[in-house]
Amino acid sequence: MTERHKRMLVAMTPGHFTLPEDPNEPPRLLGTKCEACGEHYYPRRAICAKCLSEKTVQVELGPRGTLYSWTFVHFPMFGSTRAEHVGYGVGQVDLSEGPRVQFPLAGTQEEFRVGQPVQAELETLREEDGGQEVVIVRFRPVVSGR
Amino acid sequence: MKDVAVLGVGMHQFGMWSAKSNATMAREAGMEALRDAGLSFRDVQAAYVGYIFAPVMAGVRAMKEFGLTGIPVQHVENASATGSAAFREACLAVAEGRHDVVMVVGFDKMTTLMRQAAAAGPPEEMDGVILPAAFFAMWATRRMHERGTTPAHLARIAAKNWNNGGLNPKSQRQPSETVSADKVLASRMVAWPLTTMMSCPTGDGAVVAIVGRPEIARRLNPGRPVVKVIASTLQSEKYTRGHLFEGPVVGPAQMTIDSSRAVYEEGGLGPEDLDLVQVHDAFAIEELEYYELLGLCREGEAEGAIERGDFELGGRVAVSTDGGLIARGHPGGPTGLAQIWETTLQLRGEAGRRQIEGARVGLCHMMGGGSVCCVHILVRD
Repeated sequence: MTERHKRMLVAMTPGHFTLPEDPNEPPRLLGTKCEACGEHYYPRRAICAKCLSEKTVQVELGPRGTLYSWTFVHFPMFGSTRAEHVGYGVGQVDLSEGPRVQFPLAGTQEEFRVGQPVQAELETLREEDGGQEVVIVRFRPVVSGR
Repeated sequence: MKDVAVLGVGMHQFGMWSAKSNATMAREAGMEALRDAGLSFRDVQAAYVGYIFAPVMAGVRAMKEFGLTGIPVQHVENASATGSAAFREACLAVAEGRHDVVMVVGFDKMTTLMRQAAAAGPPEEMDGVILPAAFFAMWATRRMHERGTTPAHLARIAAKNWNNGGLNPKSQRQPSETVSADKVLASRMVAWPLTTMMSCPTGDGAVVAIVGRPEIARRLNPGRPVVKVIASTLQSEKYTRGHLFEGPVVGPAQMTIDSSRAVYEEGGLGPEDLDLVQVHDAFAIEELEYYELLGLCREGEAEGAIERGDFELGGRVAVSTDGGLIARGHPGGPTGLAQIWETTLQLRGEAGRRQIEGARVGLCHMMGGGSVCCVHILVRD
């Protein structure tokens, strides 16, 4: 068993994304599909915002999407104790199922461009007493050919 | 909207007022507004009070500063559009004949909130992880991708607003010399491409407006132009694909388009009739987008209009004449009322060194939490 398997991960926002056992498996976002009109949403909701139907089901979304827009923030990430989060990217990502979501981005400003394919990954914000790691989702630019 | 006038306005300068309470700032602004109107608090029949960050019932407590006369006091909150939404409720109360004289009070101490936030534990929502400016910065990056906008366009807007603020004694930011676009570009980067000088400051302040029947204004201040409120709208969003349900939302385009159409129709005029406009310019990119969404120029033409100076004092239609959120400041509750204060002074011809010659029609636009839009049109009768 590798060291990575012993990590105790806790989602900062439970019910928003999966925590795969396999460290190589990307997380999925937990969303909703309207069975009446087919619209997808993130995060989960009970009533369809478009057609108002209550016939909604829970679905997993992602992990791929394309970058609709991006920025690079020159301040520390709130709630993070990690030095590398002193500057961080943020992106609006159009998931292949339709919803647009906003998350931090992995990588540097030079790697971001509109239309760039991106993939979700887990990122540790901080370690809490007892060794639990508080994790969030972020998206990383997918380099072609990988 | 018929038979509603702004009878008086008063403003406590926005800034870092750590030694002053909300109630004190509200009292000072309110007494200024009453004197401006020629009224006593005894004449006020109802009050609408807006704030975002103060504790429950802070509005009623602040109103006690003026005296205890038993009038109905209602609290209104709608994020950045709080003051605008409170103003709308007061105007509707007059228009519907419920009251003749209504006081609208907005106050906030955002500096207190920032200290509280710093002392609180780590965030538990994604909204709390990411710097709010990032969401507006992404609006800018997208615009740059689609239209070839440059940071220099944003800097020019911000420099205009800083310099307008320098002509407004109630503005939070008071530049000691003319601010150039280069200086804005050289200020600290917040979230690409937005710099600190393209972003509104944190601050405290209070603004009070008194609205009522126009004949009261004519009787109490004969010879002074009467400023009437001819149109008002408050809208929330309609669902469109790409709607962001999590994280601070920057104003969806359609909501501002729909809101401005509603007030133009109600007022029986169009964007070409406007002499001055105030918008929710928390970040320079917002003001650029609102030029087009409010119809001040056509889609895709904002950059050219900025380069021509269309929106500067003395330009085709002056925008953020008092410095806007970027310079005049944005404490929260009073921000929308500061727009009413500025527009009222301009339409009366009392705006001093920033006066728009012959100003007759002004529009005030505010977004609240990116999820509501409140717009008013004021005219000199």
